[in-house]
Amino acid sequence: MNALILVGSPKGRKSASWMLGSGIGEGLRDRGVTVQYGMVHHELRSGEGTGKLLDLFDSSDLVVLAFPLYVDSLPAPLTRLLELVAERKDRTAAAGNPRLGVVVQCGFPEAHQCDTAIGICRRFAGFTGMRWAGALAMGMGGSLEGDFGRLPGGGKKILDALNKTAEALARGGDIPDEAKAVFARPLMPRWLYTLTGNLGWRLKMRKNKAQSPIGYRPYGQG
Amino acid sequence: MKALVLDGCREGDYLAMEAVLEMTTALAGRVDDVEVVKLRELVISACAGCFGCWTRTPGECVVQDDAATVLRSYLGSDVVAYITPVTFGGYSSLLKMMLDRCIPLLDPRFTIVGGEVHHLLRYRRYPKTIVLGTLPSPDAEAERLFASLVARNGFNFHRTFEAEVLVGVPDPPSARQCAERLLDRIGVSA
Ligand SMILES: Cc1cc2nc3c(=O)[nH]c(=O)nc-3n(C[C@H](O)[C@H](O)[C@H](O)COP(=O)(O)O)c2cc1C
Repeated sequence: MNALILVGSPKGRKSASWMLGSGIGEGLRDRGVTVQYGMVHHELRSGEGTGKLLDLFDSSDLVVLAFPLYVDSLPAPLTRLLELVAERKDRTAAAGNPRLGVVVQCGFPEAHQCDTAIGICRRFAGFTGMRWAGALAMGMGGSLEGDFGRLPGGGKKILDALNKTAEALARGGDIPDEAKAVFARPLMPRWLYTLTGNLGWRLKMRKNKAQSPIGYRPYGQG
Repeated sequence: MKALVLDGCREGDYLAMEAVLEMTTALAGRVDDVEVVKLRELVISACAGCFGCWTRTPGECVVQDDAATVLRSYLGSDVVAYITPVTFGGYSSLLKMMLDRCIPLLDPRFTIVGGEVHHLLRYRRYPKTIVLGTLPSPDAEAERLFASLVARNGFNFHRTFEAEVLVGVPDPPSARQCAERLLDRIGVSA
């Protein structure tokens, strides 16, 4: 089986999307699946990179989109890639019955804020003749800063859910409901996330030596 | 009163281009000034996800390209209309490229809107927003997703965004009706 993990975050390997996507990818590899990774933002900057991703897409039995929620949907370059895949499929009928899975996380605490984005991916799958394998969605993505170990309980539950997902996908199955439920559960109380998040913005401003206040209005209105 | 039309369609997409034309005409009948921005002709790079617009240069993206000009115009408008082919239930990548660059308009601090966490507003006043999507043939699921996406985008700005989907082959009277309906719904009268 050939699997392609498409990382839809512009931050590439420094992103939460990479952490989650590669978690599934490595779990697939452990089970004998051939896994390739594609950094969508980076590859779409050149015609060559775009062509490479489109070819990889077409030759995969399983594609997993790992992305951050951007404005309630997919980041623009990932949307562009899906448009190009669909245009291609219009011309050449999809070979076999490739599957599409998703792992998405967002900055707000509520995982359900990702539902529309998941629906868009699912509609894309239907449109291009792919089989929908399901989606993992997580809120509080801001707490996944490069290290599962920083999560409550060392992130064991999330790692376990990723592993179960890889196991099911490698078998040809869908993302298990149990893994979806673990992802949907808040990583911490909402008040704690927003409190630390608000503090985090201030700390980053200080680190970046920001010259204007947090609520500055560069485009007028006082 | 000023209106801004964000044209998120590609050259050759006659249905969406018709929607832009009819929306522009409908607006011209009701407001003093209509600006049409053809996103395909601008240089707008993809958001880098660095949050520099919140923590380095608050309110402004660290990348200098045409997106800043669009944001200024956006804030200076009373009405903004997004026009886009409905793309698997979402926006076209051309429109989305610009929308991803709109986060400097918000303040990073969290607040509760409709029982969910969202961001504080940076500005006192934002334009009323309408969204006209186009679909070459009926697709109930894509239409449902589109309506939900537009509604969710409204929450981010603590207000209601109105959406319509124009389905079928280019037909100026239907496109015009959709545009007029949207303007009625946000209370923009001649
Ligand atoms: C342009 C932009 C738009 C975003 N829009 C949303 C949004 O609509 N809802 C949300 O919960 N988070 C939103 N976020 C937050 C990201 O989803 C969040 O920071 C995520 O953890 C980033 O993941 P990554 O490290 O994989 O890039 C947005 C971030 C950016 C940069």
